[in-house]
This record gives sequence, structure tokens and C-alpha cells, in this order.
Amino acid sequence: MIQEPRVGVFICHCGHNIAAKVDVKQVADYAKTLPNVIVSHHYVFMCSTVGQELIREEIKKHNLNRVVVAACSPSMHEPTFRTAIESAGLNKYLLEMANIREHCSWAHSDKEAATEKAKDLVRMAVAKASLLEPLEEEEFPVSPTVLVLGGGVAGMRAAIDLAEWGFNVYLVEKNPTLGGRAALTGWLTNNRRGADVVNNLINKIVDNKNIHVFTNAELVEFSGFPGNFKAKIKVNPRFVNEKCILCGECEIECPIEVSNEYQYGLSRRKAIFFPFKAAYPPIYVIDQRVCIKCGECVKACQYGAINLAEQSLTLDLNVGAIVIATGYDPYHPPKGEYAYGLHNNIITLFQLERLLDEDGPTQGKLIIGGAVPKRIAFILCVGSRNTTPSSKNYCSRMCCTSTLINAIKIKEKYPDIDVYVLYQDINTYGNDETLYEQAGEKLVKFIKFEKPPTVDISPEGIVIDVYETTIQEEISIPVDALVLSVGMVPRRDQNELIATTRASCGEDGFIREVHLKLNPVEAPTHGIFLAGAVTGPKNIIESIRAGSAAASKVATLLSEGKVRTEPFTANVNEERCSGCRICVGLCPYKAISLREINDRMVAYVERALCMGCGTCSAACPSGAMQQYGFKDIQIMAQVVAATGGGIK
Amino acid sequence: MSTNNYEPRIVVFACNWCSYAAIDLAGTSRKLYPPNVRVIRVMCSGRVDPQFVLEAFKNGADGVIVAGCRPPSDCHYINGNIKALRRFTLFKRLLEELGIEKERFRLEWISAAEADKWVRVVNEMLEELRRLGPLKAEAVSV
Repeated sequence: MIQEPRVGVFICHCGHNIAAKVDVKQVADYAKTLPNVIVSHHYVFMCSTVGQELIREEIKKHNLNRVVVAACSPSMHEPTFRTAIESAGLNKYLLEMANIREHCSWAHSDKEAATEKAKDLVRMAVAKASLLEPLEEEEFPVSPTVLVLGGGVAGMRAAIDLAEWGFNVYLVEKNPTLGGRAALTGWLTNNRRGADVVNNLINKIVDNKNIHVFTNAELVEFSGFPGNFKAKIKVNPRFVNEKCILCGECEIECPIEVSNEYQYGLSRRKAIFFPFKAAYPPIYVIDQRVCIKCGECVKACQYGAINLAEQSLTLDLNVGAIVIATGYDPYHPPKGEYAYGLHNNIITLFQLERLLDEDGPTQGKLIIGGAVPKRIAFILCVGSRNTTPSSKNYCSRMCCTSTLINAIKIKEKYPDIDVYVLYQDINTYGNDETLYEQAGEKLVKFIKFEKPPTVDISPEGIVIDVYETTIQEEISIPVDALVLSVGMVPRRDQNELIATTRASCGEDGFIREVHLKLNPVEAPTHGIFLAGAVTGPKNIIESIRAGSAAASKVATLLSEGKVRTEPFTANVNEERCSGCRICVGLCPYKAISLREINDRMVAYVERALCMGCGTCSAACPSGAMQQYGFKDIQIMAQVVAATGGGIK
Repeated sequence: MSTNNYEPRIVVFACNWCSYAAIDLAGTSRKLYPPNVRVIRVMCSGRVDPQFVLEAFKNGADGVIVAGCRPPSDCHYINGNIKALRRFTLFKRLLEELGIEKERFRLEWISAAEADKWVRVVNEMLEELRRLGPLKAEAVSV
């Protein structure tokens, strides 16, 4: 039986965030006039220890049995206040929040109107709170297994950390090798290469029995709930097995040649190929998109390692959590942007990194268009910071540092080459700032622009025209080669990932975290974690850090051995149910079936399968199906209160 | 209430995962919009019973927005948005029969990133409602 509601209303100033635009005292006074409200307070920071203590004290003092907190969005502090009222002895679902910050004080400029709206939002919350019931969470055991999607540095780091804690890890990589883009990143600071970092991580993975690596594999289905997700993995055929000793005979015989994506198109590869020196697993692979199955490679292989009849296989995994670490794509300039695509000597920073890498197509020699350039220029912020119509508005973080590392590398190897860096701002943050000084000492010439330079192709070569804002003069720079320091963009295939995992993307197009500062490695869906550049531009160090951070969050979720699910599931009033089956067909999770009660067929909800969308409740013609926490009468009460409830 | 200082009141049903988050984002990004909207959070646009919308009109709402994740596949619950789409396509035709102008109801897909779209939808609807004036009482007395 529901007790007579005794509601306490607590209104937060959030410093000036709310109080500057909402007259909190007026709202608190108004709240006292609402039905069922016993007490109402306003305080500078309700989420602070003191604020929470105030709520607890008032609950005890006035024997409150419902609490309304008017503050920020429930996505921010609902868990905080639930815990607070629970520690005062109330069921934690007897809380309702009124969002008077994101939905009110931050969105409206007129204080009087915002105050009126805040009163309405509080009235709506009180109306719903009065009808809230105590709810019980269900507890489920968790699977101590984690799916890590993406075998780049972030994914590998997360997998290693989790495996070292003793969790079983499935590391699933879409490409035929681990390593991701970091493996192709040439020089980093301290004379290390991206490939060195990748090697180090791969060695740890090979040694760890808790990590199961699947390359050439992708997630095709994903369902379930935190602690108990079901993931279907499709492993595409590699056509080459572990008997391969990397002799390379097959490659020589293969008649198909395509652009080599592992050298950013600077060289060609065969249909059967080995991605790069440190690739893992150390086995050749056949690119099934281009292979014509002529069988030449099979004949060439003395070890019987090739099987062209190999089929894809499917794995069904039961995992407790998933880490999405699928990375980014380099920005691809449209043809003609800074004359990209119009001259062979105009390349991207990613391509330059391959050229300067000893394992690259020129074994580290700077050969562009068949010769070592005498004059080379970099243009920064290509694709970033709104420099061109197709640019993104964010900064890609890594391009300044990477440009300077490579500019310095060029100067070390070829002191006579003139190197120009055309920039808007140099953002070599943290310790990388010393690179700016080093580049200056090595006589790299920095040219500052506000208006992006123009690039023209003349019979003599590439000419860059730019207004230099320090000397305030229009200058013209003829160069032999031009490097576009392109930024990072969301992956092209990201929409498939969103469709499968129900992750969502933010304004910049990258996968969105719950909160950039408070929950930077958690997706809005509980149990899904995010690591690396999938959430936005990051350098290798930051991505590895994010991998470790995500791993520790997963461990927090899974180490307790059980999870509790939110209790907003559907529930049937069996007396009212007519057994019409409308809900059965609507349920996206097949959680509803019919069963016999007192000689009648009525709906039955399997609570463990119900995800709490409420679509069955919306469709039930007799109101027999109700969603806990979002019952018809609760929402109706909000509706009436929202429209003034007769006191308009 | 005179038509001169007529301030339309809009009731919004927003799904927790996309549209409610977009309205949060509008606030976080300080994108200003008129304060005529009252948002009710539901877990999914598929939870919105057309009766809730009628109830809003009956109690004095001048406009109602149901906002959910973008079809086809942004829905957190696989396809609740598609269910909302089916229900409210029918419902719109019924509204007109009840004498409620169809412009007073909008079904909108607003992803968590589309704070700008939210602001645009509110402004557009307000403009429309100001043009229409208050909802005639006899329309909802059924």
C-alpha cells in the first residue's frame, strides 16, 4: 500500500548556474504551496556533502517519503541523490528530479520567465513524485568476460589490463592485423616509432593466456544488458593458416596488385599480402575483396598454408561488458583543397610518416615524386578548425606535434632541405612544447596565417601564396613538395557500429561519452565503455591512457560478480489483461509471452529480458500493462501539471 | 487571456537517450530558446501513449512535441521510434477530425547531438502557434 505522500522539495542554486537566472527563493516558497509538499529548501550546492546531509536530515525530521530535487539534469546527479535518500532509509526510486539547469537556467535569458518555468518544472516533479512507488532492482550474476572491439593501442591496452586482472578478454579487430593506426605512425618523440609501441603491446598480448585475439573479425549482433551481453562475432576467412612461415613465395606469384592501404597508398601490394613488419598474427592474408581465386598462391606455397575454400565462422559470446576502441580515420581532403590530388608531390602527414619510417616504402628516405625535395612545406589545420569549407570545427590535437617531429626529422636527415611550416596556431601542448624550440633551432621556418594559404600548380611546380600576419606581407613560396597536416575524423563505418551497439555520436560526429569530465570512458548505455580516438582526437599516449581508464571502469563493474538493473520494467495487472497479444508482438526483446492464470491466457513479462522501453504500456488497450517508474497515472500527472493543472 | 500577450504552452515528450540529451546539450552549450516548453522525460518515444497527447491538449497545451531518436536505427530499444512513427502518423489524422489543427502536434527525431535542431523546432512551432492562436476549447471538450 502506498503511504500518504509527504514530499520534500530541495532546490539547488548550483552556485550561480541556476541562481543567476532563476529566483530560487521564489521557487522554494512556491513549492511549499503545492499539494503533498511538507517542506521546501534552497541551497547553494545540493550535491555537496552539506546539501546531501540537509536532504537526509529533513527526511528524518519530517518523516518525508518522497523527495524532489530541482537541480541539474538527472543524467548528471540522479545517482548521487538516489544514494543520498537511500542512506536516509528511503527507497532510492522515491526521488524525482526537476531539471532546472540544462532545461531552464542555461537555456533562457529572461529571469522572470525562467523562474516561472522552474516553478512549473517543480510542480510537474511534485505531481509525479506523489505517485512514485518504491521499486526493487533485480540482481544478476555477471559474465567475467569482456569484448574489446578494436586492436589499436587503446584496445590492446584495455585488453592487457583486463587480462592481467584475470578477466577473460576477446579482442576483436576488423583488419587482418593488430596495431591499428599507431602501427603506421612513424616517428614519435624520444626517437621511438609508433610501431615500437605497438610491438611492445603485441608482445604482452601474445604472452597472455586470458586474451583471445580475433583479427579479420567484426561484431554483427549485440544485445542483452550489463553483465550479460550477447555478442555475435563474424570471423572472416583469412585463407592462410598458422603453417605460414612468411617466406613470401605466394606474394611473388599473385597476379593481382592494388594500392597498399598500410602505406597510405604510397606503394602497391598483392591480393595475398602481409600488412607490415610487426603485424600480428604473423601470417599472410588474402584480401577477399580483390582475390580472383586463381590458385597461383596455393601452388607457390610449399607449406600447405593456403586454403581458398575457407569459410567465415560465427562466434556467440556471452560478455559482461564491451570496450569500443575502434579509432578514427584521417581526414581526407577533397580534390582541389590546397591543390590536393592535383600534383603527385602534395601528400598528407600520414603519408609523410610512412616515408620517414625505416619500414616504409622508401626505407626512411624522403623521396617524393622520384626525388628528394629541396624545399618542402607543411600546412597545418587541414580539415580542422574551420580552415576550409569541408573542415571540422575542432582541433585534432596530434597534428602540430606530429608535424614538428617530422619537420625536425627531415632537418636531421637532410640539413639542406628548406622546411616551412604554415600555421594558424602551434598547439604543441605539454612537454611537446620543446619541439617548437628544437624546430626553431634547426631553422624550420614558421609562417603564420590567419586566412588559409592558396596553393597553385604552375609548370615550375607548387606555389603557396599566403599573407604572413607577423610581418604583415603577402608572400609567395615555391616548393617541391607539400605536406597537408590533416586531422582526425570519425570512421567511415561508424554508423554500422552505432546501429549494432546503440552507441550514439556527439556534435563532432565521434562516439559520445556520458560526460567529458565526469565519465569520459563510459557510453550512455551502461556496460559499454569507450577508449581512444573513437570519442574524439587523441594522440597515442592519450589513447593508451584511455584504454587503461576504460579497463578499470570495466573491472569496477564486473569485479563485484553481480549487477543490478534499473527496475523500470513492464508489469502486468493480470485481472485487467484480456490476453489480446498486442504487447507480445510489439516487444523488441521477446520478453512478453502469454501464460494461463485462472483458466485465462494473460500476458507475462520475463523481467530479465525486459529493457524498460515501455512501448507495450503505450499500446495496451486496457491499461493492464504498466511500466514501473513511468506508469500512465504518473505521466498523466506530469501532463496535467505541465499544462497548469487548472491553475493556468 | 488576450491574444496580444498570448504565450503558447508546449508540452514535450522526450526520449531519455537522444532527445532529452539533446535538450540537455542545448542548455550545456547555452543555446538560448524561448521558455514556452515543458519537457516530460520518458525512456523511449515508443512509450508515449496518444492519450497523453490528448490529455495535454485537454488541459490547455497549445502544442505538443513527441521527440525521439532518429530512424531507422538510432533507437536505444531497437525500434521504439518506428512504433511511435506508426502510432502518430495515424493519430495526426484523428487530431484533425477532433478539430485540432495538425500544426499543433509534431513528431520530431532529434539525436543527442542535435541541440540546434531542438532550438529550431521550438522556434518554428512557437511561430506556428502564435499564428494559430490559442486552442479552441470546444475542440478538446470531447
